[in-house]
Amino acid sequence: MSKYELVAGLETHIELATNTKIFCGCTTEFGGEANTHCCPVCIGLPGTLPKLNKRVVEYAIRAGLATNCKIAEISKMDRKNYCYPDLPKAYQISQFDKPLCYEGYVQLSNGRKIRLTRIHIEEDAGKLIHKNGDTYVDYNRGGVPLIEIVSEPDIRSVEEAREYVEKLQQIIRYVGVSDCKMQEGSMRCDVNISVRPQGSDTLGTRTEIKNMNSITFIAKAMEYEFERQVDLIESGGSVVQETLRYDDATNTTSSMRSKEDAHDYRYFREPDLVTISVSKEQVDAIAKTLPELPEAKLQRYVQELGIPQKDAELLTKYRRITEFFESASIGLQNPKTVANFILGSVFKTLETESAKEDFKILTTPAQLNELVKLIESGKIKNNLAKAALDKMLASGKGATDFIDESDMGGLDEAALTELCKQAISSNPAAVEDYKNGKEKALQSLLGYIMKNSRGKADAQAALAMLKDLAV
Amino acid sequence: MINKEDVLNIALLSKLYVADDKLDELTAGMQEIISFADTINSAEVENTEFDNINNLSDVFREDVVVESYPREEILKNAIEQDEGHFLVKKRV
Repeated sequence: MSKYELVAGLETHIELATNTKIFCGCTTEFGGEANTHCCPVCIGLPGTLPKLNKRVVEYAIRAGLATNCKIAEISKMDRKNYCYPDLPKAYQISQFDKPLCYEGYVQLSNGRKIRLTRIHIEEDAGKLIHKNGDTYVDYNRGGVPLIEIVSEPDIRSVEEAREYVEKLQQIIRYVGVSDCKMQEGSMRCDVNISVRPQGSDTLGTRTEIKNMNSITFIAKAMEYEFERQVDLIESGGSVVQETLRYDDATNTTSSMRSKEDAHDYRYFREPDLVTISVSKEQVDAIAKTLPELPEAKLQRYVQELGIPQKDAELLTKYRRITEFFESASIGLQNPKTVANFILGSVFKTLETESAKEDFKILTTPAQLNELVKLIESGKIKNNLAKAALDKMLASGKGATDFIDESDMGGLDEAALTELCKQAISSNPAAVEDYKNGKEKALQSLLGYIMKNSRGKADAQAALAMLKDLAV
Repeated sequence: MINKEDVLNIALLSKLYVADDKLDELTAGMQEIISFADTINSAEVENTEFDNINNLSDVFREDVVVESYPREEILKNAIEQDEGHFLVKKRV
């Protein structure tokens, strides 16, 4: 164990999935031609007035409630002044001392709560492309609504940081206010990191690593920065408060600028926008529309549906999977069968994380429900269902397209006996092995039965009968 | 007191064009605005936390897309442009 402890807090920017920008009616759609989603308001022309998008407030409150935040009865917008070409007004409209949401937390699997200082709303900046020695500016992203979720310095390891970001991503996606796609920039993290001797309770000088767009990079940057700060202190130096950039190609951090403090931004009240007041009734109304959150769902799957913890974690990772699972489980005795099919056959067709997240499969929940009903009513066996499901997933057709009447009802006892006898007579070597104590030898006899019954035979019954007949 | 040079200077900083025949009017207007600050300074602000501008709060827009401007219009005031982008000097 290191002599030093890592202390980190995260600032997470998330683009809200509204139709329009925060202060004007321009679309927030991603990927349009440069400067085609712009108007005088979002390119900061003089004389224009911002008008707050109602849904931005609603979405931020949803995010706040889902992360156990209090909602401010009155909040306001402020100007954060800084001069950079991505910001045409030379200030960003943000919130300073009266954020919309405050004092929340996200709970990690080790039971620790990462406290959230605040969640505020603000506008995104434009995009700069540096090429040919010039800077090309595209303001399509300028004015897209963001929430910034600020955590307390409660994170104590790279693993906790990783889980915190994943949890946040999962919760925000569940409540439907953002797709949180880090690779597309709709979720970005700044990490404030410092080190201190184990057991100390004062905070060391922190550095801030800006704008990371993948969980892997966050982890690598934190590991690098932790080592760098420890080495500095061990060699008698001290950490300088500064803003760093992480370079994933070299896996190092480098200085961008000395870190600003709040007073460098000359924050003041945005005079063009009125206060936002949120009544308890409004908060209650929004709370009622929140879906069951990931943690609660996980507990319910484990405790009420009897799904193993690990499986339940995989199922609840993405909301679309839970919706499919719950819909496919309606009216079934044992939802675990559905869970197993999703985690087995369905997941096999979804190779990447983003494919699992999108969960675009040809089979409908109703079709899987029908298939499992055939098992539960004893009409088909599990292995036949599994074979049928693979074909269903590949074609989008229903169970009955692959299972005909003759497959249903399994085998009657006479037919099973007949098949067992055939298996024994055509595999004398395996029978001999079994008689000599090799229990496993029965598997090849069972394989013969399954093949020749087209999967209809009940494996347990067949094994029992084989044992009777073989000796 | 605000004079014509002040107005021209502010116009330059704001990248605004001021026609000669508007200068007197704008100088007087600017002086009026500055004087208004004295009125603001005399306002009673003890015991008020932060208030609503003109007693207004919750002025919202519905989240409905309005057509954006044509790109030529957006780029019209750009000093330099290339490939549909504003072009500026590189800054770190």
